[in-house]
Amino acid sequence: MNWLKVFAALLIVMLGILSCKEIPVNIGDPLIPESDKIVLIEELTGASCPNCPKGNIISENIISTFPGKVAVVAIHGDFLAQPIEGKSKYDFRNQKAKDLENWFKPWYGKPAASINRTRTNDDQEPFAISRSDLWQSVVEKELQKPHVLNILLASGYNETDRNIELDITAIPIVHLEGSYNISIFLTESEIIDAQSNGSEYIDNYEHNHVLMDMLTGFDGDSFGHDLKANDLIKRKYTYTLPLRAGLFNPDHMEFIVMISRNDPGDRTVIQAAYISVKG
Amino acid sequence: MNKGIVILLLQFVINLSLYTQDRGVFSGAFDTNANIFLRDSSINAINTPQYDHQFFGGEAWLNLNYTINGLTIGARFDMFNNSNLRNPTGSFSGLGIGRWYVKKKLNKLEISAGYLYDQIGSGFIFRAFETRPLFIDNAIYGVSAKYDLGKSWHVMGFVGRQKNAFETYTGNIKGVRLEGFHSCGDENPITLAPGIGFVNRTISDENMDNVVNAIRTYQQEDRFNPNHNAYSATFYNTLTYKTVSFYSEVAFKSADIFYNPFALKAELVGVSLGKLEQKKGSVFYGSLTYAAGNIGITTEAKRTENFNFRIDPNLQLIRGLVNYLVPLNRQNTYRLTARYSPAAQDISEMAFSLDIKYKLSKALSVGLNYSDINTLEGDRLFKEVFTEVVYKHQRKWQLTSGIQFLTYNQEVYEMKTEVPLVKTITPYLDVLYKFTPSRALRTELQYMNTKQDFGSWLFGLFEYSIPSGWIFETSAMYNVVPKKANSKGVIEKTLYPTLGVILVNDAQRYSLRYVKQVEGIVCSGGICRLEPAFSGIRFNLNTTF
Repeated sequence: MNWLKVFAALLIVMLGILSCKEIPVNIGDPLIPESDKIVLIEELTGASCPNCPKGNIISENIISTFPGKVAVVAIHGDFLAQPIEGKSKYDFRNQKAKDLENWFKPWYGKPAASINRTRTNDDQEPFAISRSDLWQSVVEKELQKPHVLNILLASGYNETDRNIELDITAIPIVHLEGSYNISIFLTESEIIDAQSNGSEYIDNYEHNHVLMDMLTGFDGDSFGHDLKANDLIKRKYTYTLPLRAGLFNPDHMEFIVMISRNDPGDRTVIQAAYISVKG
Repeated sequence: MNKGIVILLLQFVINLSLYTQDRGVFSGAFDTNANIFLRDSSINAINTPQYDHQFFGGEAWLNLNYTINGLTIGARFDMFNNSNLRNPTGSFSGLGIGRWYVKKKLNKLEISAGYLYDQIGSGFIFRAFETRPLFIDNAIYGVSAKYDLGKSWHVMGFVGRQKNAFETYTGNIKGVRLEGFHSCGDENPITLAPGIGFVNRTISDENMDNVVNAIRTYQQEDRFNPNHNAYSATFYNTLTYKTVSFYSEVAFKSADIFYNPFALKAELVGVSLGKLEQKKGSVFYGSLTYAAGNIGITTEAKRTENFNFRIDPNLQLIRGLVNYLVPLNRQNTYRLTARYSPAAQDISEMAFSLDIKYKLSKALSVGLNYSDINTLEGDRLFKEVFTEVVYKHQRKWQLTSGIQFLTYNQEVYEMKTEVPLVKTITPYLDVLYKFTPSRALRTELQYMNTKQDFGSWLFGLFEYSIPSGWIFETSAMYNVVPKKANSKGVIEKTLYPTLGVILVNDAQRYSLRYVKQVEGIVCSGGICRLEPAFSGIRFNLNTTF
């Protein structure tokens, strides 16, 4: 029968193709470049987000893989960031975190992270990448870009009035054309509180790099235009740590400073730096 | 590019119709949704661009087809304006030619090019289809050829790329299908409708880079050598003997990369959930139907293992699906009975269903449906018992009533933490009363009793239709025993009202509704996604010509 022959021929072709072997793809190890560049990870997370501990683990792994070259800010905005009823002691949400989370929209879900605010190829996720196992490769790519700016930080904390003075010195290595913004994040780590994790809750989860406040607007303050190579650009900021039970512990707090482009369609971070609140 | 092709096609058809006697057949359809978003924090209708600053969003599709002398051409104009269909928490705008195609029959050969919809078997290895409410348009942008091997057999082959909004995903897909029909003769009432299909998907270099970038970050025990190609094959047949019909299909997939959200991934310290894997997959499906006299019975079974098949393994949720997994649960239509609907699971699922319909008399019929879905490891995913009694009193009124018992695994279907299985009991009543053949009142009343998720619900609907084609409707969903705090942190009884007016005029249907809708699952077939709450005004218009 005609159709039976075609049936058999199709089967033979299928089996023939299935027996083809591919040349294996080369999978290398992470590249750790020699550079003073520091990359910023802005991680969208939340206490009520079941998949977010996975994002936290990946961020910590990236910090371990590239020691001293990565700064992380954990943004507890609106989506899945509400405290867990009957379990959470703290509410990590704040207006700056909410504004930032909205600024990164759209994204598919949490966890998601923006790496140096670089644009992705996905117009439905232009800045924040929700596939957390891709974050490290973007960090690698960013670290391989030329280092163009140094940021030096000095922080002084007054135990009596909880006042902090932050001195920032930026030194362009090359001439930087265009407009630039500065953003200063105040983060806190080692906060023990409840966290949703898959199908369960972890009561004593260690929350790290939690964005507590910003010393600038959520989208940054103007830093300058056409920055000349080797110029010293200085800024001074002051902040008083509020008194909130269990939170704003200066021993566990850091400033993360980043300078980014401020051109339409390009908000790329060119350098980040971090320092403990106590210097 | 698409616009140029469409202009070229129109020019060609105009020329053709001028030179032939045949004027051809022209048909089309227009479909539009327009939404006005009214922020309401009490039901969590907040924090999307539409509620925050856009306030308006909508979509429109205009479909045109023309057939002349065995040649069919068609095009579709798509428009998305601040639409939340693509990403329920985002906004998408875009407009242009969403589809064009040309199809020509040349004796036994039929050739097609453009954006094509088709499927092999039940769709386990390939289905190119469109589901607008979920922003699924998986048309293949390519060519296909179909050749008739005699009266009842044909072979079809295709090659192309999968559509992604107004672009295509990178990566190629090609396939072949042979299917037909065979009767064992007049004396022997056995018929067979066998088929075989084969699909190959090749991952693009760009997408493979992302796979490699992910694998590079994995610990040694989770790493694998990724293949660019995945091959899938399916064998299916419908055997009919008198009043019994048995459809069976088995599908296999070669070792293919997919993201398994339930797999344990080793980390530098500890483990996390979810990673890329490369494994073989399979689906076994059977459906046995008996229909004779007053009784109709259908029973189905399906076993699915590692059958996530996408054009790009980096895609998740409902994006880039190459295949379609048939759902075995009942496709419910009433608001509360459809509230918890399971998405077909592609990693691990064992599903059974039984559907019985019995006509006791001309006026009275009863139905029973049972669905049971577990993981292959035996974890309960979904169970439903649905009963239905339909009583028709002459042509004056009709009563439909029954009860639904349901168990739903919210942890798996909605990725929620430490939530128990949702167990519901939902009696329902639907009464249609016809004052005259064109003037009728339809009422629905449903009560969902549950201690989980949002708590218990009451739903009522009144729909009054008059001869001029107008339908007036009002409905409300009321959280009578609430369990969940709203965005203000308060557990309170909330009313979700809908008020609407519909006009049906020949093939045109207009509807205007004020809607408050609770967050829930929206499903089409076995494909579902979590949709946020809606508050606002909705206008729909659809027409065919």
